[in-house]
Amino acid sequence: MLTVAQIAELRAAVGADALITGESQLQTYECDGLTNFRVLPGAVTLPRTAAEVQAIVRVCARHKIPFVSRGAGTGLSGGALPAAGGVVISLARMNRILEVNYADRYVVVEPGVINSHVTQRVAPGGYFYAPDPSSQSVCTIGGNIAENSGGAHCLKYGFTVTHTLALDVVLPNGDLVTFGSPSLDAPGYDLAGVFVGSEGTLGVTTKITLRIVKRPEVVQTLLAAFDSPQAAGQTVSDIIAAGMLPSAMEIMDTLAIEAAEAAVHAHYPMCGGLLLVELDGPAIDVETLMRETRALCDKNGATEVRVAQSERERMLVWKGRKAAFAAMGRISPNYIVQDGVIPRTALPQVLAEIERMAAAVNLRVANVFHAGDGNLHPLVLYDRTIEGQEEIALDLSYRILHLCVDMGGSITGEHGVGKEKQQALGYMFSEPDLATMQLIRCAFDPDGIANPDKVFPRTRLCADRSGPYKPHPLETAGVAEIF
Amino acid sequence: MGRATAPALEDLLPQLAAIAGVEHAQLRGETVSVLPADIHQIAAILRLARENGLAVTPSGNGTKMSWGNPVAPGVCLGLERMNALREHSWQDMTCSVEAGCTWTAMQTQLARHGQMVALDPLWPERATIGGIVATNDGGALRLRYGGLRDLIIGMTVVLSDGTIAKTGGKVVKNVAGYDLHKLLTGSFGTLGVIADINFRLHPVEAQSRTWTAEAPDPSHFEQPLRALLDSRITASGVQIRMDAERCALDIREAATPECLDDHAAQLTQFFDPIPLCESSASVWSARQDIFDRTGAAILKASLLPSQICPTLSQLRQWTRTENAEIAVTAQCNGLVDIALQAAPDAAVFLIERLRSTLCASGGSVVALQMPAELRSRIDVWGCGSNALPLMREIKRRFDPDRILNPGRFAGNI
Repeated sequence: MLTVAQIAELRAAVGADALITGESQLQTYECDGLTNFRVLPGAVTLPRTAAEVQAIVRVCARHKIPFVSRGAGTGLSGGALPAAGGVVISLARMNRILEVNYADRYVVVEPGVINSHVTQRVAPGGYFYAPDPSSQSVCTIGGNIAENSGGAHCLKYGFTVTHTLALDVVLPNGDLVTFGSPSLDAPGYDLAGVFVGSEGTLGVTTKITLRIVKRPEVVQTLLAAFDSPQAAGQTVSDIIAAGMLPSAMEIMDTLAIEAAEAAVHAHYPMCGGLLLVELDGPAIDVETLMRETRALCDKNGATEVRVAQSERERMLVWKGRKAAFAAMGRISPNYIVQDGVIPRTALPQVLAEIERMAAAVNLRVANVFHAGDGNLHPLVLYDRTIEGQEEIALDLSYRILHLCVDMGGSITGEHGVGKEKQQALGYMFSEPDLATMQLIRCAFDPDGIANPDKVFPRTRLCADRSGPYKPHPLETAGVAEIF
Repeated sequence: MGRATAPALEDLLPQLAAIAGVEHAQLRGETVSVLPADIHQIAAILRLARENGLAVTPSGNGTKMSWGNPVAPGVCLGLERMNALREHSWQDMTCSVEAGCTWTAMQTQLARHGQMVALDPLWPERATIGGIVATNDGGALRLRYGGLRDLIIGMTVVLSDGTIAKTGGKVVKNVAGYDLHKLLTGSFGTLGVIADINFRLHPVEAQSRTWTAEAPDPSHFEQPLRALLDSRITASGVQIRMDAERCALDIREAATPECLDDHAAQLTQFFDPIPLCESSASVWSARQDIFDRTGAAILKASLLPSQICPTLSQLRQWTRTENAEIAVTAQCNGLVDIALQAAPDAAVFLIERLRSTLCASGGSVVALQMPAELRSRIDVWGCGSNALPLMREIKRRFDPDRILNPGRFAGNI
């Protein structure tokens, strides 16, 4: 726990109006989107400037107090879970867009800026910010940097790191440094490249320079109904083999369609496997490629193919897809969200194996995935009130991740390792791999105070405890879907 | 340990020969060249070098060995025997390749399935993947496809103590663990020896066209370039070529033929009244021509796209005043390669002047290749980063005895 003197130092660093120490208020910060991990911090700070972040981190460094930085708390792997009795640095008040530069196509933002606000700000100039995690209406850029967030459209446009030009970072010793530059290839190591996706374990970012992208001339979204997700998956492979790069390709299975329909009424065709393909670019090109895509859908036995006819209809299609996780509550009392990645071609085999594994333990698994890049989101459905079922569901969700690794894939495509998948990281990487990553960690944070006990496997030999999904307060309030 | 007590290289030759084979370990002047056959041999060589305090310079075909600060002679670890394309999962659009494979050898094999690593590095027939990655090289295609940072999805690397570590994986989307491969890309062999690399692939550009506009001075291109960059045309290369007399701007776009016709009309409008003519793809060798100029100082400058035209005009002015010769290719993403030939004092003056101008707005100038007479007078890297202490600490953790290319990199790392 923090001592009275340490709390006084924190108060001096940020002022009394930016320090929370009362237990009931601290509870607001005890978890992120992985809601059944809960730890009470010793204090929450709400800095307004990089200098205040530095002052907080210096207090922490002086006393070796663990600190965890936090944006909107929408992460799904427990990355923003506080350290017990430690300091939370909430970047919520650092939420200004500092510069918009159309000539050089970048924006400079503070970490607390909400993802979709960047696009809103640059839309008048005909630009957008490409990474679009489903929580984009509430999640912050700082959190996106920590997790290297993706989204449905990263198939074509890349991840957060693709769009990050420069970062100001407060290191765990309190020094403020700059990684990268708005101009490319700054001399020295690519520290911005390493920092993005480091899940808050290397420092706190206080200013971010992001690329912005010109809006394409047209965007078209096609829905195709298949008898099975495998047939939809084959179509995805055929589209790629034809040399096309759609901006997004998503598949939902029957359970996911049912849930999304119940929640959003997106007018999806009921089928075994629904494929969404979004194409964007010059009108002439999109028209040609859409014809080819339709032909490939027909070739693979699509029972219905249609293109959203208006922007409103297109938005509804996406609303249904983006609501799929939260909608699971309509068909199952409890569920666990996973985030494995497989080589695209392994899709039919992996889906069959997941089905077999689920049937063997008498559970249902709904599948929603970013099919273009092989990022699966299996949702393990269960009922906590049935004794022992939660443990079986957790075990199944981890075995699915191991399956992804066995097929040459990854345990996480966009949610991060965080608290949830620490042990699974040890399944994916060998001891020398992890020891090498620790060299980076130790160079940045020799005392291990930045988001400790996350990402890397714990030394003690215990199994991961994942989270059955519980609604986040934002979700309950109807503010956002969290995924 | 320590270099003062290092044994003579010839004394280590038998041990290196025992690792890689007698015919693959040879004394060449002040260095010993050793060619490992596999990753375990790399590890054994590094362990031996570390025990004996010898500097190790990883190398492919040596096309860029003069880049960066000079390194004390020691072991030249050649990757040329490790040159296989190990895997091409064409349906997944990924590949895994050994570091000693040449760029062209890899691309030729990938092209059988109509795919490529979307990058256009220097000297593709000779340059190896490892060297290209270690120096973060790339040309005009970066505009559309990004740089190596965006194309590399995994890597296997050998550290100075012989540790063999993997990072990333074989799937494009992956956020598990730290992205060590981003740290290794562009690190000039100072953190570890890159043994193999996994890439994401793109379809080969089926139809593309190149157009060229000519003008007496780069300032004429400022307005059209701005219009082009603010348009929805996704070019796969835009470069300005400039020397003392001429200046030209090239645009390449890959799309369907109908779309190319449409965009040609738009481009003509942007450039009006400067005529825009269809030209040959050979204009894209201009960057390599810069690096092939013997005796010149070769600079890699980085600036903001909006600064390109004014900076080039100014640079031309300065070089005229100093009686210097200059040739430039500027990519419209702000990466500019410059060949400068001038009397030593003038060269130093011009490089420092350009560097101070660009650094003031966050840009940089790296003097990649320099004639001998300039080497002692110009800081190669000009790295003013406030993160240098952290970079040095990373080097210390990865290579505590400083055996890997010691001193070659920014900040004498």
